[in-house]
Amino acid sequence: MTFTILWLLDRLQSLFQALGADYGQLRAIVQVKLMMDNRRSLVSLGRYGKQSAESNSNFTRILVIYTVVGGLISLSMLAIPDKDVLFFPLTLQFAYIMALCAMTLISDFSSVILDSSDNQIILPRPVSSRTLWLARVVHISSYLFAIALSLSVVAVIVIAVRFGALAGLLCLIMSLLSAVLMVFLTNVFYLVLMRFISEEKLREVINYFQIVMAVLFYGGYQLLPRLIDSQEALTQALDHQWWHYLIPPMWMAGAVETVVRPVLDSTHLIFLALALIIPFAGLWFMNRFLTADFTQKLSSIDQESRPEMAQVAAVRATQANGSGWIDRLSGWFTTNSLERAAFAFTWRVTSRDRKFKLKTYPQLGFGLAYVVAMSFQSRSLGSSNFFYLFALYFAGIYVMVAQYQLSVSDNYKASWIYGSAPIREPGDVLAGSLKALIIKLLTPFYLLLSVYILYRYGIDKISDVLLAFSNSLVMLLSASLLSTRYMPFSVVQDALKQNNTARSLLVSVVLGVVGFSHYGLTLIPYGVWAAIPFSVATFWVLLRQYKKTGWAQIEMG
Amino acid sequence: MLFPYLSLADKTGIVSRCSMKSIIQLQNLQKSYGSTPVLKGIDLDVSAGQVVGYIGPNGAGKSTTIKILIGMLPDYTGTATVLGMDVKTNSLDIKRRIGYVPENAALYDTLTPMEYLQFIGQLYELDITQIERKALDLLRLFQLNDHADARMTTFSKGMRQKVLLISGLLHNPDVIFLDEPLSGLDANAVVLVKEIIRQLANNGKTIFYSSHIMDVVEKISDRIIIINQGQIIADGTFAELQHQRPESLEQLFAQLTGSEGQTGIAEEFIHTLKN
Repeated sequence: MTFTILWLLDRLQSLFQALGADYGQLRAIVQVKLMMDNRRSLVSLGRYGKQSAESNSNFTRILVIYTVVGGLISLSMLAIPDKDVLFFPLTLQFAYIMALCAMTLISDFSSVILDSSDNQIILPRPVSSRTLWLARVVHISSYLFAIALSLSVVAVIVIAVRFGALAGLLCLIMSLLSAVLMVFLTNVFYLVLMRFISEEKLREVINYFQIVMAVLFYGGYQLLPRLIDSQEALTQALDHQWWHYLIPPMWMAGAVETVVRPVLDSTHLIFLALALIIPFAGLWFMNRFLTADFTQKLSSIDQESRPEMAQVAAVRATQANGSGWIDRLSGWFTTNSLERAAFAFTWRVTSRDRKFKLKTYPQLGFGLAYVVAMSFQSRSLGSSNFFYLFALYFAGIYVMVAQYQLSVSDNYKASWIYGSAPIREPGDVLAGSLKALIIKLLTPFYLLLSVYILYRYGIDKISDVLLAFSNSLVMLLSASLLSTRYMPFSVVQDALKQNNTARSLLVSVVLGVVGFSHYGLTLIPYGVWAAIPFSVATFWVLLRQYKKTGWAQIEMG
Repeated sequence: MLFPYLSLADKTGIVSRCSMKSIIQLQNLQKSYGSTPVLKGIDLDVSAGQVVGYIGPNGAGKSTTIKILIGMLPDYTGTATVLGMDVKTNSLDIKRRIGYVPENAALYDTLTPMEYLQFIGQLYELDITQIERKALDLLRLFQLNDHADARMTTFSKGMRQKVLLISGLLHNPDVIFLDEPLSGLDANAVVLVKEIIRQLANNGKTIFYSSHIMDVVEKISDRIIIINQGQIIADGTFAELQHQRPESLEQLFAQLTGSEGQTGIAEEFIHTLKN
């Protein structure tokens, strides 16, 4: 892949020079970045990461999955409809590409574009702001193009076979432009934010924004088909409204439609123009106005860690308040001092570690967004009388993610403390840590979920909510007991990748089985109420078991 | 064995300060992070061929000064010129002619030393075959030739520091900024690097050296500048500074930065541990 990208870059040399970059430096930076991505697991491109010798096999695997899944979606949407009603399926196709690109950008791009590890290495060298910024955009775009291509390859073939090579080519170009457009939108956002937010706060703000955006994009993708009544849209030609010009996937769809039907009225000309001009105008705009002080802003990101004397008193005061609260909670839920320490430790780190928040909160947000979006879906799962059960257990999968992240930290090296401290029962640490997670994240999450479900499906579902919550805790503990046990925040991200797939598969199968048993119980009068004590008891037993974890069962990172 | 240089260095240092043009010039340099002032008006004039030891307690503003001088932090007030060029407007031209070795051993450790040095060389737009030859030679001189093609993830701190030093000097810069350049090096390498610094200065290079290890600073610097809380509190050759208090630099440092009575604090520390 590296070779192909560099070959392509060489072809575009004059473009980069026109944009004001030093091509030699840009090429060197991109080459080194790709080389490092291939070697280290992609920490920055998190979920693609895996330890591998010299090839990025995990990313390739992701691409294959995208090709298959994207292909199935494209086939089902684009293969049958008549050319007159193809506009809406095409819109969905491009919306799908954009949503996935945006997701990748938001969860992974920020760490690449704001990567401060370059500060010490590249900033002291004679590299201009623009060159470094462009190099980063090229680096991330190469991944995005790969994603966009793998998602659209089947669609392109379908369109080409049905409507000719020109239509296929246009579809391909539009897919790539979708990726460019997403790069533009996220980038504008980051650069504008870098410009107006105080430097120390930047990362914190970006972190929360990423979480919100991740949920919004996901929700938007879920919502788009519902803006237009889907049955109708799939069978009828669409009347174009003015607000259609504001929806980027529609530009792309309109542009492809000009060749497919073929049609060239003012509406389609506007779509075509928007689709072709906006991505490039965006790139030009970014390059022209927003990158000038990029490196300067970048170098100031690191400064947030400076101790600030003036605020020490204030910080101490709030800490005292905060810790009093945490102490009280840990007093209620833990049994000995080691467990209490782990509880407070986990509570604090999970509030402050950006990576943890970034990996966990969007997942929980998705969980909620998904449930809400699904429940509105007419004529399908949403209105069926066991949907709320599905939702409750489905949310369990998202909950697992948090537990999975608990052992990961960038500061994993600090875990020497577990080795040097005289800890006899490491199970106490594990249990305290897990309890903090349950109290802090999972309970509020389930609370929100159950408020929604009780509101929508009636207050009498309270027994189901309680049982599902207890069952989810049981599942969480079983997952913790079954998987390799690590001390909290003691391993690098990569160390966990290996057994991940098998584990999540197992968890979803068991969740399904438990969910169906729960459904069975709802058919028996008071069956659910009767089951709750058993579930709670199981939870209790498993927790005792987890607490007994000895050193032999723990793997140190 | 480095002492003979000291007297010699003193003379050249003083002579050069009077006669040669200044390489680094700071006038009323101020910088704050948010509302916290870090540098409160630094005035400084360094001429070619000097080894300047820039010392101060943690948080005094040493690294900030260096980052401003190498053009990484352009939002300061006052003037800063390096090699006669304004840091604010000519940072790229300055960066081409200076070398910087940061303190925290930041390098891309999934690369091999050769790959890393090639990359750095390309950023300076050096000829690729020339970089390769030079890098190999330099690695050999640091006894890293056996490791030239091994990934640096497994390297010890000293080995990384050697690669870092080479990467900062590869383009033969005129001014060199070193932030704790000896950290992690073994005793032999320390002697070698000190000797390299001295000979670079003899070749007309200017070296701006920041460290916490007082006896090294004492021995290799032509001129010592002590800063505390963003201000210069002492500036001169070691001999000149000694006039104020004829003891080691360590004690002088403690006196000037207001941290005397460490013995008493140590006693209190032990006492607190016992409770």
